[in-house]
Amino acid sequence: MSWSDRTSFLIAVLFYGLSSVYTIFLFRRGFREDTRVTYLLLFAGFIFHTAAMFLRGFTYNRCPIHNLYEATLFAEWMMLAIYLAVGLWSRLRFLGAFASPFLFAVSVFALMPQLDQRTAITAREGWLSFHVALFALAYGAFGLSSVAGLMYLTQERDLKFHKFRAVLSLMPPLQRLELVAGRLLLAGLVLWTSALIISAVLARQLGNVNYLGDPKILWSFLVWALYLALVIMRWRFAQGGRRFAAGAVGTFVFVLLTYWGASLLSPIHAP
Amino acid sequence: MIVVLGLSHHTAPVALRERFAFGEARVPVALQALRKMGLADEAVILSTCNRVEVYVATAQDPRIALPELRRFLAKTHDYHDPLTDELYTFPEPQSIEHLFRVACGLDSMVLGETEILGQLKKAYDFALQAGHTGPVLNKAFQRAFNVAKHVRTETNIQRGSISVGSVSVELAEKIFSSLADRHVMVIGAGETSEKTARALLSRGARSIIVSNRSYERAAALATELGGTAIHFEEWSKAFADVDIVISSTSAPHYVLDRPKLEPLMRLRRNRPLLLIDIAVPRDIDPQVNFLDNVYLYNIDDLQAIADDYLKQRKEEVARCEAIIRERAAQLSTPRPPLTSGSTQPAFE
Repeated sequence: MSWSDRTSFLIAVLFYGLSSVYTIFLFRRGFREDTRVTYLLLFAGFIFHTAAMFLRGFTYNRCPIHNLYEATLFAEWMMLAIYLAVGLWSRLRFLGAFASPFLFAVSVFALMPQLDQRTAITAREGWLSFHVALFALAYGAFGLSSVAGLMYLTQERDLKFHKFRAVLSLMPPLQRLELVAGRLLLAGLVLWTSALIISAVLARQLGNVNYLGDPKILWSFLVWALYLALVIMRWRFAQGGRRFAAGAVGTFVFVLLTYWGASLLSPIHAP
Repeated sequence: MIVVLGLSHHTAPVALRERFAFGEARVPVALQALRKMGLADEAVILSTCNRVEVYVATAQDPRIALPELRRFLAKTHDYHDPLTDELYTFPEPQSIEHLFRVACGLDSMVLGETEILGQLKKAYDFALQAGHTGPVLNKAFQRAFNVAKHVRTETNIQRGSISVGSVSVELAEKIFSSLADRHVMVIGAGETSEKTARALLSRGARSIIVSNRSYERAAALATELGGTAIHFEEWSKAFADVDIVISSTSAPHYVLDRPKLEPLMRLRRNRPLLLIDIAVPRDIDPQVNFLDNVYLYNIDDLQAIADDYLKQRKEEVARCEAIIRERAAQLSTPRPPLTSGSTQPAFE
């Protein structure tokens, strides 16, 4: 078997799988174990993931962001990069334990051959790369924000129901989790907004396309509005805590469930 | 040869322990007397509220040294009643194992507590500075401190809180990023609420407000804790800034219920609120726990966590004992083999 970018990505997925198995172990131990193992497994996965993206970039001599497979890889890579930076603080390393199953599931989905189709490039490479990179970063920030939200909901439930696990677990306190989720979500929103603005530049380059009727563009505005509503509800109407965490998780689940559908329905985004 | 003579909460009631306790001023005199009388080459006296122990390095046979030490202890405290199981005595290697167990908190009333290690270090330092220790006890005590450190890092014997106050602190640390900016309110100035408030203050809580039906009692406790006192009728007015509430009034009904708390939470902009209800009958309606960002723990919930921690610690004892036996064996003086007809003395 010749070594290709997909082989490299497959190895990365194996590491995400191992990390997911370790998450089950952590869960069964009441989150009492340190998550260095998770960090190391995800770091190993990140190396192969990066290699996969470089191989693809060198093979086609362009930034690997031109179909759903490449876009998914890029968004995941951004999310991992943010996690690896944030995870340098030991108290936030637990994000990786919650992110692993998500990374594994999305990666397995991305490996479906139908998602990896060649596309014709109609816009200028530089703007397109910038557009996709900003969206990928935003997905990464939203994804990690939902992971922090999920951790919040887990810890909050344990505290509400007086579980011994609540005091034993090494997860960060609720306030810190909410702070992390809030900041990541805000960062994601800023990136998403910037990406939408760049989209307008790209639209001009593409010429005669009906943007307002494009499902992916409508979907992007809907996602933007949902996250904006979450931010406003939290800061203006004091709807923080569990509701905010549930909102961050719920919105990202919506993004995951509808992303591929919206992309496939869009004439200018479909592979 | 190191021998130990002592009494502790395991063997003697507090009335007897206080009878045999050495005040700080009496320790140097007693150490001096032990050495002067030839009962000890080196000596350390540990005297705490839960134990009085004399650690002695002597060249004498323990069968002679230990009865002499018993007589010395009784005479020093002018005690004439008969003593049987209240006093325990250990020759080597049990004496070293006992010292290690004490240092590790395995012999403490609160299993695995660390305060005893500080008291042991203080007792040793005192004897060391006064020149009452030598190579034998120096080595044994240094090794005891080392074993205590090892046990603390390698086992879970000291992990978790086993008092209501410290469990409350742990819960607060699971909710709030830092206790440094947290405001605490004490409603009803009881002993447990005072201890809990002190535990929170020791971890950096920013301020304490005390409210009690008797304003004088509230003012007295507030002064003691460095906080402010308010009249009982006014506690809800000060609620907006509070993050942690410790309630222990003797009211026969709920002091805080859901209809009362809901508007207060809006005033607080739904910031997290930890409610610790240590009153019996309870002060806080359990229904408030269903409000978002409110975490209510009553005395049973706190005690259940403390008991779980204690259970966890007890499960660790066997591991600690194994470490202690191994380290004590490395330190003990090799004993000559028993000759035919000789028997181990019964010291206990």
